[in-house]
Amino acid sequence: MSARDSIFKQLRGRAREQEMPPAWISRRDFGDPAGRFESALTAAKGEVVRAPSLAAALDALGELLRELNARTVVANAEPPLSGARLEQRWPELEWHIVGETAGDLRAFCARADVGLSGADAALAETGSIIVSSGPGRSRLATLLPPAHIALLSTSALTTDIFTWTAAREGGMPANVNIISGPSKSADIEVTLAIGVHGPGRFIVILYTD
Amino acid sequence: MTATFPQFRQQARIAIEDIRLQGALDTATGNLLGARIQALAELPDSEKLRDHLKSIRSSTLANLVRYLEIFERNAVAAGVHIHWASTGGDARKIVIDIAEQHGVTLATKSKSMTTEEIHLNDALAAVGAEAVETDLGEWIIQLAQEPPFHIIGPAIHKTREQVAELISEASGRSLAPDDIAMLTAEARRVLREKFLAAGMGISGGNIAVAETGSVVLVTNEGNGRLVTSAPPVHVAVIGIEKVVPTWDDAAAWLALLARSATGQPLSVYTSIISGPARNEDPDGPREVHVVFLDNGRSRQIGGEYEEVLQCIRCGACLNVCPVYREAGGHAYGSPYNGPIGSVITPLYSGLRKYEALPHACSLCQACKDICPVRIDLPRMLLALRETEVREGVIPWPERKVEEAAAVVLAHERLLRFVTWIFRRLQGVFLRDGRLQLPLWLDPTLGRRMPGLAQRSFRTMWQAGELESKE
Repeated sequence: MSARDSIFKQLRGRAREQEMPPAWISRRDFGDPAGRFESALTAAKGEVVRAPSLAAALDALGELLRELNARTVVANAEPPLSGARLEQRWPELEWHIVGETAGDLRAFCARADVGLSGADAALAETGSIIVSSGPGRSRLATLLPPAHIALLSTSALTTDIFTWTAAREGGMPANVNIISGPSKSADIEVTLAIGVHGPGRFIVILYTD
Repeated sequence: MTATFPQFRQQARIAIEDIRLQGALDTATGNLLGARIQALAELPDSEKLRDHLKSIRSSTLANLVRYLEIFERNAVAAGVHIHWASTGGDARKIVIDIAEQHGVTLATKSKSMTTEEIHLNDALAAVGAEAVETDLGEWIIQLAQEPPFHIIGPAIHKTREQVAELISEASGRSLAPDDIAMLTAEARRVLREKFLAAGMGISGGNIAVAETGSVVLVTNEGNGRLVTSAPPVHVAVIGIEKVVPTWDDAAAWLALLARSATGQPLSVYTSIISGPARNEDPDGPREVHVVFLDNGRSRQIGGEYEEVLQCIRCGACLNVCPVYREAGGHAYGSPYNGPIGSVITPLYSGLRKYEALPHACSLCQACKDICPVRIDLPRMLLALRETEVREGVIPWPERKVEEAAAVVLAHERLLRFVTWIFRRLQGVFLRDGRLQLPLWLDPTLGRRMPGLAQRSFRTMWQAGELESKE
């Protein structure tokens, strides 16, 4: 008998009917979800820049790239970045637009100063953004560079993880990440260290649309 | 690794006599507990959410095979290779076969209790595949060749000086111990090379979601993301009890996991892996394997220990346990330590080999109170002790003495008679009012128990010599 058969046989012999509880309904209701998002992410050592429009968000992005002394930038080809003509806007930078620029994406991500992405959704309660894999959407772009900047529209905000799963339907992309701050560890003497394996700077530009 | 009575006592003694270690243990467990209290206080209806998660776990275990089948169907549809392992040996063989098939000489790992349970790293090394731990704490103890000290903080017992020495040796650069940020940066540099060179990534899985055939991994450092994104092959080894039916169920688990563990509302990265990279994805593994491990789990279903399978591995019970907080993690002789380890280690790996663990408990019930799913660990520790008595694990002289004590304690007049005799006989052993028994008779192992008072509390109370404070 295969291991699968013997495990399943053992479990079938011991199974009983017991109804699953009804789904948990979120108890949260934030009057100002954007404000909650900002305070939660800031508490987790992430950074939030607020912008009144997408145009202002791109201006803020330019300032951040200057402040970070960025020279090489990898950007996922996803909204709102895909329409932003990044290479024309900042021609002094070396760009890799995922799925568009030729060359080794992985090697570029490994030496890039900054990774740029959008976000599918964001959780106000925990200050988290949700990114997923797909065409033009690299996993390493938001992971290997020392800084990750995400452009997030206020319309993508949902209350918490319960409202996110309640609205979710269908299958999952190959890879989804809920990101709630910069990479951190407290493994040496319970002392907080930022930027262990993932980005040490995690900056969300939260813009109104 | 085992935990017989002499082994447990010896390891506990080493930890208790190490003043610096005691300080580190107090700091780590105290910080984690404080953060947990704050995080749960901030969460509305957290008590009801705990009941809800317990109900999810219990109802899933009641019909585990149904949800494992749904997971399998959905994961296979997403392109995952599913394997089933009855024992740790089966699981090791499956992973080794995958490694050999791909000619893997270097694998990166994110922290996984399940792979610690089956001693995967040694097995991989034996076939020429080096497995490098990438969680900072787990890497430190791998360099030190030690088992994890705490379920979520494997290296909390190491000083920065010890860490600096270990990392210096691994990287070939001499590092000063005074700068933790520098040590972390060096770990990042060394392990980054490993991530990019590895032929295989190995992880555990915090949750398996049947609805979409997804594996959920939580990490704070990002190593979970790297292990599952950079190498061409990803293998996840997961206990069969980690499955939940739906994403709503997984949300309840996630809402309580990090809050109970470290007091964070969510871990920094919650990674959801649902099959290999799709054709149009720019990066990601081309092959994903899920190895479901039984290793003693399925036989608990329907029995008196089924409840222990509800554990979500937050480690909160360690932080609150008076025995763990003194004896430390190594005394348990198992990657699963603390109260939860004292129950699951004997169940998975044999009661005789881990005979001391059911006794590493004062029955204070703190673990039951703090457990996010309210697992009644003290009940199961008592049940394991009963089994030990039944199966003769406890030596018969001890058993006879305890049986006699039970009779005496149950009969008041007999108790009075026996204490009367002891009071008269204890004189030969009394030194400064404390008993000094010959070692072979000494139940306290060298601590000095006070002698019986000349007049008992009961006598004084009945004579009206004690005043009630009311």
